[in-house]
Amino acid sequence: MKKIIILFVISVILSSCEPDDICLVTIPDTPKLIIVFFDATNGLKKEVINLKINGVNSDESYLFKTTDSISLPLKNIEKTTSYSFIKEAKENIDDSGNKDQVLINYQYNHIYISRACGYKSNYEINQIVIENDNINWIIKSEIIESSVIDENTIHVKIFH
Amino acid sequence: MLKYFISILLITTSLNLSSQENDLLDTIPIKTTYGIKLGIDLSKQIRMLTESNYRGLVITGDYRIFDKLFLAAEFGSEEKKITNEIFDFNTKGSFLKLGINYNVYKNRIGLENEIYVGFRYGISNFSHKLNSYKIYDLDQYWNQNLANNTTDFKNLSASWVEFVLGFNAEVLKNTFMGISLRLNRLLNQENPKNFSNLYIPGFNKVLEENSLGVGISYSIFYQIPIYKKTKNK
Repeated sequence: MKKIIILFVISVILSSCEPDDICLVTIPDTPKLIIVFFDATNGLKKEVINLKINGVNSDESYLFKTTDSISLPLKNIEKTTSYSFIKEAKENIDDSGNKDQVLINYQYNHIYISRACGYKSNYEINQIVIENDNINWIIKSEIIESSVIDENTIHVKIFH
Repeated sequence: MLKYFISILLITTSLNLSSQENDLLDTIPIKTTYGIKLGIDLSKQIRMLTESNYRGLVITGDYRIFDKLFLAAEFGSEEKKITNEIFDFNTKGSFLKLGINYNVYKNRIGLENEIYVGFRYGISNFSHKLNSYKIYDLDQYWNQNLANNTTDFKNLSASWVEFVLGFNAEVLKNTFMGISLRLNRLLNQENPKNFSNLYIPGFNKVLEENSLGVGISYSIFYQIPIYKKTKNK
């Protein structure tokens, strides 16, 4: 009997430990929008030289590099996110390069993950709008996968 | 946790103290009381004093059917608001637990103390109101991590079993104080859509990694004696 009591008390203490209060880094968070740049003439991947991306109404720049693919965060509680895509920008000089404004319209869903991680957003892309400024370097955009549920596929192609 | 162990110690020592009385009455037939014990789980009242976002009331009782065997029941309602860095939600509901206690303690003559093991089957009906939650987004560029849409999750239910280990000491004639430890195992739950039962009234906090839970109760009972029966030696 004593053994049973001791065993019981130990199991009560052990199960009071709470291993699921930590959000593990292996759990995928809110996915970003994957955009890949293509050449408008031959349809092959094409790098954008010195691409600088700024969120509209954001004080800091999101990225600055020469690349053929980017991943952009979307706002979690608004249905529109706007970025300026600046080609051939100079890192510390404002208004350098060719700036195109890109507006992404979408629906968001908040999906429950767990007690420790909370929720994540998934998005359904409705529309990509490239604002016309007469000297656009972006020729067109194409939604390849409208459901943004992970970062394993290309969601949007941009031709330039 | 420490304070509970101190309480257990106090109760076990009081059991031992009252066992010091001698048993001269060996040859006289011994009568023990059969009755209904009705009580209140004071651990909920203590919790209301120490936890600002908790309200609860639990009535407990048992009925002695055989020398060592008791039918046991508990019912009550609880309301709990949980606010942490991930969620802000309220859970509210009522529950019923039914089961048996088996007294393993050999009393000295004339005493009615109990050390018992038992189990309960519990059911709970409850609802959650989610007020706000965090969105897990490692990228902090837009800094939109908190959603403030209130959502109601109603008519949820759960069932579980509890293994109980407890002590009841008769502190005054027909008045008992008792403490019990509970190990709960969730059997069934109706999960809300796009949320989870993180707290179930009667069951307590729910862990997602395993279906075990723990609980403690600290009760005071009054026994309504119904009849006396000669104890078999």
